Amino acid sequence: MNYHILKKDELDGFVKKLAKKMKVYAPVAKGHDNFAFEEVASAGEIALSYIPTILPPKKYFMPQREKLLDFDLTGGKPADRAVLDAPELAIFAVHTCDLAGIQCLNMVFSEKPRDYNYILRKEKIFIIGLECLKYCDGNAGCAMVGNHNPNGGYDLFFTDLGDRFIIHVNTQKGEELVENMGLAKAAAADMAALDKVREGKKQAFATEPGADPKKLPEVFARAMESKIWHELGARCVSCGNCTNVCPTCYCFDMADTINLDMKTGFRTRTWDSCQFETFAAVAGGENFREERANRQRHRFYRKFKYPLDKFYRSFCTGCGRCTRTCMAKISLKDTLKALVAEHK
Amino acid sequence: MTEIQNSNWKLRKGQIIAAKQMTATEKWFDIKLEDGDLDHEPGQFVQVELYGIGEAPISVCSSPTRRGSFELTVRAAGRLTKHMQGMGVGDWLGIRGPFGKPFPVKLMTGNDLLFVAGGLGIAPLRSLINYVIDNRREFGKVDILLGCKTPTDMLFGSEIAGWQKRLDVNFSCTVDRTAPDWKGNVGLITSLIPGVTINPEKTFAVVVGPPIMYKFVIAELLKKRLPERQIILSLERHMKCGMGKCGHCQIDHPKNYYCCKDGPTFTYEEVKESKKL
Amino acid sequence: MKTENKPVTTAAKPKVAFFDFASCEGCQLQITNLGESLLDILGAIDVVEFREAISEKWDGDYDVVFIEGSIGDPHAEERLKKIRARAKVLIAYGACACTGGVNGMKNSFQIDEIRASVYGKDYKLFASTATKAVHQVVKVDYSINGCPIYAPELVEVLKHALRGLPYTVPDNPVCSECKLNENVCMYERGLACLGPWTKAGCNSWCVNNGNICYGCRGEVSNPAKNANDVIGKYNLKPELIKAKFDMYNKCKEADAK
Repeated sequence: MNYHILKKDELDGFVKKLAKKMKVYAPVAKGHDNFAFEEVASAGEIALSYIPTILPPKKYFMPQREKLLDFDLTGGKPADRAVLDAPELAIFAVHTCDLAGIQCLNMVFSEKPRDYNYILRKEKIFIIGLECLKYCDGNAGCAMVGNHNPNGGYDLFFTDLGDRFIIHVNTQKGEELVENMGLAKAAAADMAALDKVREGKKQAFATEPGADPKKLPEVFARAMESKIWHELGARCVSCGNCTNVCPTCYCFDMADTINLDMKTGFRTRTWDSCQFETFAAVAGGENFREERANRQRHRFYRKFKYPLDKFYRSFCTGCGRCTRTCMAKISLKDTLKALVAEHK
Repeated sequence: MTEIQNSNWKLRKGQIIAAKQMTATEKWFDIKLEDGDLDHEPGQFVQVELYGIGEAPISVCSSPTRRGSFELTVRAAGRLTKHMQGMGVGDWLGIRGPFGKPFPVKLMTGNDLLFVAGGLGIAPLRSLINYVIDNRREFGKVDILLGCKTPTDMLFGSEIAGWQKRLDVNFSCTVDRTAPDWKGNVGLITSLIPGVTINPEKTFAVVVGPPIMYKFVIAELLKKRLPERQIILSLERHMKCGMGKCGHCQIDHPKNYYCCKDGPTFTYEEVKESKKL
Repeated sequence: MKTENKPVTTAAKPKVAFFDFASCEGCQLQITNLGESLLDILGAIDVVEFREAISEKWDGDYDVVFIEGSIGDPHAEERLKKIRARAKVLIAYGACACTGGVNGMKNSFQIDEIRASVYGKDYKLFASTATKAVHQVVKVDYSINGCPIYAPELVEVLKHALRGLPYTVPDNPVCSECKLNENVCMYERGLACLGPWTKAGCNSWCVNNGNICYGCRGEVSNPAKNANDVIGKYNLKPELIKAKFDMYNKCKEADAK
């Protein structure tokens, strides 16, 4: 356990120094209470108080569109080469919900057979977390899934103590960075201030009424036939917004593109969504998830049931993005409450 | 960055060494990999890459007992499989795999076997049937039931004639619609099951066919008191990555099955709760 | 829409022609604006007719023809059929050709009323019919939707056509691409956008550049049934969305019949 202190008026120097080593990405205000992780060069550009960004930082770990292979058909026999574009970078001010999301994806892509594009890229990314001191809005459910407090997943973690940040150093890489920056060690008074902040959060993040997280596995074990899925299906637009913005949705599609020389080309992978009409269709014509109701159910099961069996945790990080972005007012928290009510 | 060359997305190169049009829509290919054997087990599949067109999952239809190359039977269904109909000897393709859980050969050893294949289902099942024939003394009684739409849709005709002649397997076949020179059975494949003697204590039924066939064949097998765990199926889904990641082949079932990794072979007991077989 | 053909294989480079019907010819302009990739395209094909860029005419058969514009009178219909007869592969490009586009608004009126307002009292001398998309007159092998076309999609479709591969116009809403581009949702900005109902494939070009989606690529084949729920969140009426959609998609009614 190692804590350091950064005075708020030194933040700009910290960001600038870091930006000299590698590209730094942080939340930036986009207007209309929307935020996005973008490249920054100074602290002034960063929105330190922000609600979850439009896309989660998963875009740095598995880009929306990513090249996997280059191929060349010039000779009789095709030639190909695996490719990877993985620059060293830092993401700054990542909230605990998104740290949890990255941890989930790490598990998925580290599972055999491993995804080297993801893993090699992950190793190049330096993660700096930022603590939330209150709910960002009514759509968030981080306390419900226990993600309102840090559970690892970062190199450094910042907590606002008013005129200064207290920084938890979690990795050797993080230690080297704060030493290099010459940041002072936290004193006993700083540690006491941190304890006080955490104590205050217990009130600010009181558990959500209506959906006891401990009950959810039991609820989902019996919810396959629930009529609630049909209510969601009747409203869903199948736009895929909910899955694209989800920090733990990782389904993808792959496609080949040939260049105009008709001899060389490349293969890409793109984010895909289980909400799209033909996601589960096979070439022969059968569509194994044709109904929107089934696709919505599938999305919820991929957050609250399947990953519990496989990765021992919920894949809902409580960020609330799916509810915020839904064109059809489908609310994750309301759906959970309805499922719990139906279960009784 | 050299580490990325370990990527599981890398493709092995295969060359078509023999090809044959089997029906109007199905073509058979014998493929040799430049870097050695495919090293598959019966029931597994490969991802076939046609550079610049994409990939499609295809079940291997040859038995691993046949070494040196492997075989695929491809029905013209999607973009890639339609394109493959025009390919022939000497053409190259990319291969990833083998993928998927094979048929449980160890579990089946020492037992009677009943194979039920409908339509293109004979392709994945053939990898197991030929494996069993090549290791015939390891198994008890072997029955093969085959169904197809019309006599001209029958795949592996000459090889099937060989199975018919064997004394160590019982073979019967039916067509949905007859043709002038057809002398065999006419009717659905379910009509052949009552005629088979099944010892429920020591029989494994392996059923591969279109989704609609499973429901009716399984009902017949259950009537014969065959336990659900002794009915083996091979399910169809769009297996895109083959590595249990891309999400396309996941089965709507309380148990988070990925068809590409946890399947495509399942016991009926494992998947009976699934929304669609 | 799925399309499929034999590969266009010829000894020389494939002969490609571009024709325009009722349109602003803006899609032709998109092609001339392709820049560097235009040189690559010209390396792969032999352009034999292209009104906006060359004056030559070709009297042989075409390997590939691109049709721009909608069909709004008997002469155009006849001319289009003649072109189709000489073309191995026909590609409809642009909203006018693929979905009727803005010209479809004509179909909201009585035909004589429209003729009179355009041609005056002698309107009977000028033949005019309800606007049709190209596929409502002849067989279309490939479609490149959009007003104007999204140039990178044209390049993709051309490559597909030259290789005889089917091309599928994406059938997910524009949102599916817009979200990947991390745009602030137009509804969040207080603007009614047709993205949730419109076919993707344009890489949310308009929204990336600060504009709403006007639905120029046509409606997805299975749109959300209950528009009330979709836009209720933003206190908008379904009639507004329907009226906005009519700007580009009035010709769709002829497909439904």
